[in-house]
Amino acid sequence: MDTNIRICGEAGQGVQTTGDLLTHALAAAGLHVCATQGYMSRIRGGVNSFDVRIGDAEVLGARVPAELLVVFTREALDNCRSSVAEGGLVLFDGQADDGVIALEMAKAAAAAGGSALMANAVAAGAVYALLGLDLGSLRAALSKQFAKKDESVARTNIACAEKGAELVAARRGAVKCPKPGQPFGAVVSGSETVGLAAAVAGVKVVSSYPMTPSTGVFTWLAGAADRYGIVVEQAEDEIAAINMVCGATYAGVPAMTTTSGGGFALMAEGLSLAGMCELPAVILLSQRPAPATGLPTRTGQEDLLFAAHAGHGEFPRAIFAPGSLAQAYDLTRRAFETAHRWQTPAMILIDQFLADLQRNVAPMDETLRPIDRGLLDVPPADYRRYAVTKNGVSPRAIPGAGPFVITDSDEHTADGHLTEDLAVRVEQQDKRLRKCKGMLAEFLLPEFYPAPAAEVLACWGSTWGPCREAVDLLRAAGRDVCMLHFGQVWPIDGRRVKPMVAGRKVTMVEGNATAQLGSVLKGAGALGRFKAILRYDGLPFTGPEIAERAAGRVKS
Amino acid sequence: MSARKAEPVGRMNETAWCPGCGNHAILKTLDAAVAEAGLDRRKLMLVSGIGQAAKLPHYTDANVFNGLHGRALPAATGIKLANHELEVIITSGDGDMYGEGGNHFLHAIRRNIGVKCFVHDNQVYGLTKGQASPTSELGFVTKIQTHGVVSVPVSPLALAIVENATFVARSSAVVPEHLQKMMVAAIRHKGFALLDILQPCVTFNKVNTWQWYKQRVKELPAGYDPANRALALETALKWGEEIPIGIIYRAERKTFEEQQPALAKGPLALTYGK
Ligand SMILES: Cc1ncc(C[n+]2csc(CCOP(=O)(O)OP(=O)(O)O)c2C)c(N)n1
Ligand SMILES: [Mg+2]
Repeated sequence: MDTNIRICGEAGQGVQTTGDLLTHALAAAGLHVCATQGYMSRIRGGVNSFDVRIGDAEVLGARVPAELLVVFTREALDNCRSSVAEGGLVLFDGQADDGVIALEMAKAAAAAGGSALMANAVAAGAVYALLGLDLGSLRAALSKQFAKKDESVARTNIACAEKGAELVAARRGAVKCPKPGQPFGAVVSGSETVGLAAAVAGVKVVSSYPMTPSTGVFTWLAGAADRYGIVVEQAEDEIAAINMVCGATYAGVPAMTTTSGGGFALMAEGLSLAGMCELPAVILLSQRPAPATGLPTRTGQEDLLFAAHAGHGEFPRAIFAPGSLAQAYDLTRRAFETAHRWQTPAMILIDQFLADLQRNVAPMDETLRPIDRGLLDVPPADYRRYAVTKNGVSPRAIPGAGPFVITDSDEHTADGHLTEDLAVRVEQQDKRLRKCKGMLAEFLLPEFYPAPAAEVLACWGSTWGPCREAVDLLRAAGRDVCMLHFGQVWPIDGRRVKPMVAGRKVTMVEGNATAQLGSVLKGAGALGRFKAILRYDGLPFTGPEIAERAAGRVKS
Repeated sequence: MSARKAEPVGRMNETAWCPGCGNHAILKTLDAAVAEAGLDRRKLMLVSGIGQAAKLPHYTDANVFNGLHGRALPAATGIKLANHELEVIITSGDGDMYGEGGNHFLHAIRRNIGVKCFVHDNQVYGLTKGQASPTSELGFVTKIQTHGVVSVPVSPLALAIVENATFVARSSAVVPEHLQKMMVAAIRHKGFALLDILQPCVTFNKVNTWQWYKQRVKELPAGYDPANRALALETALKWGEEIPIGIIYRAERKTFEEQQPALAKGPLALTYGK
């Protein structure tokens, strides 16, 4: 079983602080926690929400009804009340009402000797009491959170939490709570996971321009820069960011930029440069709804085709789209490895939903394990950067050590010098494109969950969690359905995907309005007719939603 | 497979420049300056954008990153961060640096990244056949600016001084000895160096000719104090019958590389995995 706690309020009121606190505390209590966020593009005001979904087994995404709603303002109450489950409760910093428990949080904080800021601890304490949980893990979480401050800060916060619990003591256990087990793992977010994996893979130069929802990865890397020996630079614009990455990779270090759709659009020419100069540039593209500025803080999966086709001309690239946090770790590393093995750009496609998603998962390896850069140990005296080879990969040396390394965005000879010899042009373009074959052979096959079935819900990237939950719900209702999740979305080896879907009813489940992966699969000859469940209102799919829509749609 | 040559890769044999172009003099002077400064060619890293000037790196013996139009600076910044032991010199055009790459120009100066920026300033777009550049003078007539340029020209040196650049100099292809001195001084400067090189374009700029520059360029007076920022700004803005050449402004400031903890153990490219 699982329980959903939704916290709503204005930006700047502590929605995030309360949510983070509960996420860490409830994980430490031995529950499976999945935290997701929805916020507006502003610093103050509006209505933000933070869902903490807890279960006695893995929880992979959000769901809408909340058994407990915590609201800080009347506006938030009016806005979010419809999301309360039948028989659910509301904890409100205002007047009591039917199903609404009043709790004057700032006042309670003051009574416990704390400041108005500690209303968050009061709220968390009350949530604990309503769930019927022992306060131990909450106390521990607060101690940990304020470990670096004066000891009195944690003590006062704990007193506030206790006050909150005390004030709702009459309703202790009123909200059903899953049974806690042994505490396990650590709480991590998608942004953190991608950042960590990049640092561990040996990224040495990170150059980006801030843009939601990619800023989390950028920020995490800045915080880890000293530990891992990384130069992190806020570039003047995305054009500078990608060109710095191109320069750094040319000179021999793994480098990456982080961005979202609009910023990536500015990088298109630089991406093409990486294709031409055969540079292992890695780009993290965290998607949000578009066109143009779109919905800056919401989620979407609208940039697959753009990522696959951005940049003028024809050149190889790989695009990975992790679903789970574990996969975000693995595929980020794989993006760096692929980029270096094939000397061509690679991208990691996530979105606001996955970037902000937090779960307690098995701890991830934080030890530096630098990838193989694929450099020649000792380049020969007659070294040529773009020597024509069978698999398209030319020997890579870096400048400074021996023979000159010459590279040009113009078409160039094997020497790297610009040329207008059209035969050489064809030879070099063929060489570059020959890499596609080898890259296709390394295509990461999509995965079935739990096993192939008559009906297939096919998805990519962050839709993995909600889709998996939907499959569980549908199968529990007796449907012969499975998920097919694509962790790599470009290039697709259609010849190997085709037999996987042949004879099955395929429904594409995508966070866009046009079923972009569906069209890629069609183009790759993997798929004929398909149906689609699409969402593009800026919110992530939920498992129950997909199940409900699939029940109507997949029925035959 | 293309025939494999046995000899090391080096400069191209033939340039794509017009006879009489100022670029020839700049190239020759650069070679002389590299020798005079005693640079190890293996560590010489020439970076450029796109344009006639930007082809220079191919015509000498060096590592070459000939990137995108306007983007020499960010590419050079990335290279310098990856391996700060490389001697990174940009040779690019006025359109490349002050037009397409204008934003990078502003910010590279703020960083004080240790890159030497040699701008071949012919006050015109050469490669694309004669449109106005950001330094073209008012009234300069082209096939696009048919009634003459109406936007005032940028003053790159003044801009750089205002931005707290640490080395700001001007020279010209018409005075190679002076140019060589300026190149060597720029190379020896720690931090970002801007050297604006007035360069005749014999095909597309019939106004600012060899003669025109020769008559106007004038070395700074003896005793000129390049540390005086107000004077430097005044000097940088001088343009007309007399155009001052020399080191107009010089200051000391920590470089960008020096302030990166990650670079303390040596160049990232060389210490990777160690
Ligand atoms: C993104 C982009 N825009 C436009 C061009 C076309 N282009 C190439 S060079 C150039 C201007 C060259 O002028 P300058 O930098 O002054 O160099 P010059 O040829 O005068 O030496 C232009 C507009 C290009 N290559 N790329
Ligand atoms: Mg020019």
